[in-house]
Amino acid sequence: MTPDLPKSLSDLPVTAPKWVGKPVNRIEDPMLVTGRVEFIDNLTMPGMLHCAILHSPYPHAKINGIDVTAAESLPGVVAIVTGEDAERWSRVGYTSPEGWGTHCMATDKVRFAGEPVAAVAAVSRYVAEDALELIDVDYEPLPVIVDAHAALEPDSPRIFEEHDSNVMYQRDFKWGDVDGAFAAADHTYTERFRWHRVGANPIETFGVISQWNPISETLTCHGSFQTPAFMALGRAAMHRLPTNKVRAIGQPHGGSFGGKGGGRGIDITALLSRKAGGQPVKWIEDRLEYLSAGGGQAWDRFYEASLAVNDDGTVTGLRVKLLDDLGATGEGFGATGAAKPMASFTGCYAIPNAEYDLTIVATNKLPASPYRGMGPPPHNFVLEQMMDIAARDLGVDPAEFRCRNFIPSDQFPYTIASGNEYDSGDYDAAMKKLLEMADYDALRAEQEQARSEGRLRGIGIVSTIEPGVFDWNAYAVIGQKGVGVPEGVSVSIGNTGKIIVRVGFPLEGQGQYTVAAQLLADYFAVDIGDVEVVAQDSLSAPTNFGPGGSRLAVALTGAVLGAAGKIRDKFVRVAAKLFEVQPEDIELMDGKLRVRGVAGGAQLTVGQAAGILIHRTDLLPDGMEPGAEATFVWSSPDRVPPDDDGRVKSYLTAAYACHLVVVDVDPETGKTEILKYVIVDDCGTRLNPANVEGMIDGAVAQGVGAALLEEYVYDEDGQLLTGTFMDYLLPTIHEVPATEKAALVTPSPFTPLGAKGAGESAIHTTPAAIMCAINDALLPLATRATEVPATPNRLWTLLQAAKQP
Amino acid sequence: MTAKRDVSLTVNGVAYSASVEPRMTLVDLLRGELGLTGTHVGCEHGVCGACTILLNGQAVRSCIMLAVQADGAELMTVEGLSEDGQLHPIQQAFVGQRGLQCGFCTPGFLMSVYELLQHNPAPGDDEIKEALGGELCRCTGYQSILRSVRDAAARLRGEVPAAATEGEA
Amino acid sequence: MKPAQFDYADPRSVEDAVALLQQHGADAKILAGGQSLVPLLNMRLARPAVIIDVGKLRDLDYIRDDGDALVIGALTTQRSVERSELVAREHPLLAATTRYIAHPQIRNRGTFGGSIAHADPAAECPALAVALDMQITVVGPGGARVIAAADFFVTYLTTSLEQDEILTDVRVPKLTPGTGWSIQEVARRHGDFAMAGAICTLTLERGRCAAARIALFGVGAVPVRAPEAEQTIIGQEPNAALFEEAGARASAEISEPLADIHGSSEFRRHLAGVMTQRALTEAFSRAEAR
Ligand SMILES: Cc1cc2nc3c(=O)[nH]c(=O)nc-3n(C[C@H](O)[C@H](O)[C@H](O)COP(=O)(O)OP(=O)(O)OC[C@H]3O[C@@H](n4cnc5c(N)ncnc54)[C@H](O)[C@@H]3O)c2cc1C
Ligand code: FES
Ligand code: FES
Repeated sequence: MTPDLPKSLSDLPVTAPKWVGKPVNRIEDPMLVTGRVEFIDNLTMPGMLHCAILHSPYPHAKINGIDVTAAESLPGVVAIVTGEDAERWSRVGYTSPEGWGTHCMATDKVRFAGEPVAAVAAVSRYVAEDALELIDVDYEPLPVIVDAHAALEPDSPRIFEEHDSNVMYQRDFKWGDVDGAFAAADHTYTERFRWHRVGANPIETFGVISQWNPISETLTCHGSFQTPAFMALGRAAMHRLPTNKVRAIGQPHGGSFGGKGGGRGIDITALLSRKAGGQPVKWIEDRLEYLSAGGGQAWDRFYEASLAVNDDGTVTGLRVKLLDDLGATGEGFGATGAAKPMASFTGCYAIPNAEYDLTIVATNKLPASPYRGMGPPPHNFVLEQMMDIAARDLGVDPAEFRCRNFIPSDQFPYTIASGNEYDSGDYDAAMKKLLEMADYDALRAEQEQARSEGRLRGIGIVSTIEPGVFDWNAYAVIGQKGVGVPEGVSVSIGNTGKIIVRVGFPLEGQGQYTVAAQLLADYFAVDIGDVEVVAQDSLSAPTNFGPGGSRLAVALTGAVLGAAGKIRDKFVRVAAKLFEVQPEDIELMDGKLRVRGVAGGAQLTVGQAAGILIHRTDLLPDGMEPGAEATFVWSSPDRVPPDDDGRVKSYLTAAYACHLVVVDVDPETGKTEILKYVIVDDCGTRLNPANVEGMIDGAVAQGVGAALLEEYVYDEDGQLLTGTFMDYLLPTIHEVPATEKAALVTPSPFTPLGAKGAGESAIHTTPAAIMCAINDALLPLATRATEVPATPNRLWTLLQAAKQP
Repeated sequence: MTAKRDVSLTVNGVAYSASVEPRMTLVDLLRGELGLTGTHVGCEHGVCGACTILLNGQAVRSCIMLAVQADGAELMTVEGLSEDGQLHPIQQAFVGQRGLQCGFCTPGFLMSVYELLQHNPAPGDDEIKEALGGELCRCTGYQSILRSVRDAAARLRGEVPAAATEGEA
Repeated sequence: MKPAQFDYADPRSVEDAVALLQQHGADAKILAGGQSLVPLLNMRLARPAVIIDVGKLRDLDYIRDDGDALVIGALTTQRSVERSELVAREHPLLAATTRYIAHPQIRNRGTFGGSIAHADPAAECPALAVALDMQITVVGPGGARVIAAADFFVTYLTTSLEQDEILTDVRVPKLTPGTGWSIQEVARRHGDFAMAGAICTLTLERGRCAAARIALFGVGAVPVRAPEAEQTIIGQEPNAALFEEAGARASAEISEPLADIHGSSEFRRHLAGVMTQRALTEAFSRAEAR
């Protein structure tokens, strides 16, 4: 039975919510600021060994042999595994697209520099690393492909011999009459873009402690897992174990952003533990491993985009051709990032005809991973540049041009060309508010002034969608199976009214435990401190997925309210029996069960009701199961697989944001300085506005990094040149601008309380906005930045070329 | 095996001695040998700042210092900030102003802020940025951290009444 | 990412340190603040058999006023230099230069002598050494000798220090009256090593430039002076056009700058000119204000 979930805050059983919708301090923070949270590396176990992994220095090479004898005899070394052990005890990894996977350690050949080749378990990490130096691997180098275009050549060396080319996926999606739209358009515009690899880089790298139990043949893994249940499922498949024989325990962890990776690390430590007879084996990925061999690289893309536009400024068609360099394998869900842009393909705009010509290719680079935003950020960058290119050519102000093409607020729910449905929004209102807050006209006047002084001042204005609450069907076209991503919690209330909510995901930083506590505190009118959130392992927790795809706050709200509703229904029946009325006559309000419409009458507190359910089963209605507890599993309603054209209703919510950014580009150094940053966003009901603001601030910083600083650079031999934090440049406090923010609230009609997914946030918007601003700055020089990040060297090179007659 | 060395040091007022390989980093001594796991490790090459601690009152990276170099030193780590279950005003400010999300970087930030506010009870934003430019946070975008430091300074100057922010820690 | 094994010694005198260096030769490495060396140890890019930790040589931690120069002990931290009242008063350029090194947490450990000895071509202190003709005292088995900065930096991360020598102090000449100064650098992020930088001093006499020093960093295997650019302005009445010309000269006269992922050789050459021009402009305005 699905209980009715409250559709808005006013549906909650309180006169006025005290917690939900408020910027409540996070319950997780006191433990975090005192350094008491058990991050994976804080954990030790009796008999625990430490793993170090030997990574291939070659991007592409045959392995003719591995000699571990010297390493084995080093005192303190307990076990060593290689590809042979992986072949004996595990499978080739699951990939999407299918069939592009390897074992967790190289067997016949290596496909990227950094690929694990062997691993050691020893008494300390120091000794384990000493042992790595004693392992002798006989490599036979093979020709290397780093360039995605070269990888497409028919005579290109193959990354996987069993495939007849390096193309992992190719499909040309057409929605509407694209060719007709382009043929009929008054204007068409085409441009190419390059987005270089960037990635998550949480400050905590991945870590795991695996323990194989040789008697029960079970595997237990503690680790910094973003999604423990999902990790456990993968490990069961990998190690050929029944799913109920793998226990994954998610430790609280230091950020993920989709890029914690770690699959290979779990498998390798599992093999080591097995080989060591069941001693637990810890592996903490170090930063160099994270950068060169971890889950931190995403979105290596070549784009060609075209826009069909009429004289009146309406955009009638969008074509995007993407060559996505996924790296050496299809592991780690990197390819989902190429599919997800379909969930918001035409952005905030009513563009009826669209085409997505998608090619995913393998090269000898680290396999790409997901990263916050999961793929649309580069797409949005491309679309927004195209909007500016068209606006400029037509002499229309970029803000005005966008307004002309916005999906009108009275057309929601609105189905975009690529098939997804947007739930609600008022883009025009957001843009108006943005321009007003920023004092747009004054900014343009200042820009005129700056230009007349020879300065390169630019203003970027963009609007983007944040698809929220993912469903697997969004990625079905590239081989992900399934529909529905269930999130379950169980709630129980003790006889003093204290509440426990059990969830299946660990702390990660977004403040979801606080959201769960806020919801229950208001639902049962207790103090937020009376709610305890407990994380359970994959064998104990209800069916769940955890964070990802901007979903958890919404899904968790559904799950918590569903479970609360089930408990309330029991309470109501208990109270009805006691008060000798019909259940319909009882209501829960402000923590009391009472007869509707009777002021000052008999009432039962939540604690009393729970107490009866636990200790006075004699008073329960006939057939009622004792206990004040309930489990509820929530999933997005109405999701189905894609149609034949790949169109699918995938993401449940469509939050959106308009950003305005002002930059100066220093013509002499090519450095971009952000002078002003204004944001208007709308993610529906804000369950905890401070959480939402935190997501925005953090995502702006990541967007600044992507637009200006961060880039994984490989040389032509396939060697990573940005293998340290001295070279892969995360933004610091100096580089991230302060933002002025305002919020609109257009509740989602489809979600509990009307909240929308908001966790990915500004990463969708910031890179596009900064690049638009830079291109606005470059406008007088008639040049255009089409490569991200816009580094000083790149911008200076453009400026030099523009100066040449 | 190279000879181990004896190291004596004081951490958060407690005297410790340990016998370590000279190659052991200070952060590995603190976390692995002394069990003080509040100090974190994010890069082991001096860039991220997660391992920042106070060495004789100065904020330093414990990942690019050998344990033997700290022989005789007085250290303070995040575990030494709060007393008797009471959060230090800097910690209160970080909680109240949302100066953290995942919290992994936080101990390093707290120690750097501690040093800053010892010298400069009323830092301007530029001074705060200068003090924290070497601490990376991937979650917050730093804006709430700036607010937290301003608030911490005010608290330490006695300016903020204890319950000024919601859900006071 | 853990260091390989090494033996460890912590001598209590310069003599003992030198004796140890003599004993272990190429297998030994001096450890000062460790801010460059320990990352290399952690990555196993440096693998000395013996670490000679000079951190206990506390008598090499001082800043002394020696009339026309400041003398700085090798073990003085960059932070001490940056914060010293003596330096602030007598040598603001020195204080300003140290502030460009990384971040406070690094400067709290990193030593002045270590930065010079490490000889990173993108580092600030070696460039200042070259700009000011610092005198670098080193002690070896045969006693002390003084090396002029111009002779000290040999190539990338390599100096004319012998294997058995230790750097003990650096004599930093003060600026003469009427001299303005500036350090300008462009880095990807605040606190990063420079893509290119310039340190300039400019001495005014009766409205003309009587002396000028230009040192560039991040643009070659060692920090370099730009003598042609210096000559361009010496004897001239300073103005914007002159600084631009000097910048162009500086840019032209350096040999092929090292390229890396942050900047091509061509870009760094260009930046060297821009930084020179900006530094001269600021130095001039400081000189005028004096
Ligand atoms: C994140 C980060 C950012 C940085 N950014 C910058 C920057 O922007 N600019 C900059 O200039 N530096 C930067 N550095 C380097 C830092 O300044 C170092 O402190 C400095 O380069 C070396 O000084 P140290 O005392 O730490 O030397 P150590 O690391 O101890 O030693 C460095 C080298 O010098 C030798 N050496 C040291 N002292 C002596 C001596 N007395 N006699 C003989 N040989 C000696 C050592 O054997 C070793 O080879 C950065 C470091 C880090 C970790
Ligand atoms: S772990 Fe020490 S600075 Fe990153
Ligand atoms: S709070 Fe996560 S890194 Fe700072």
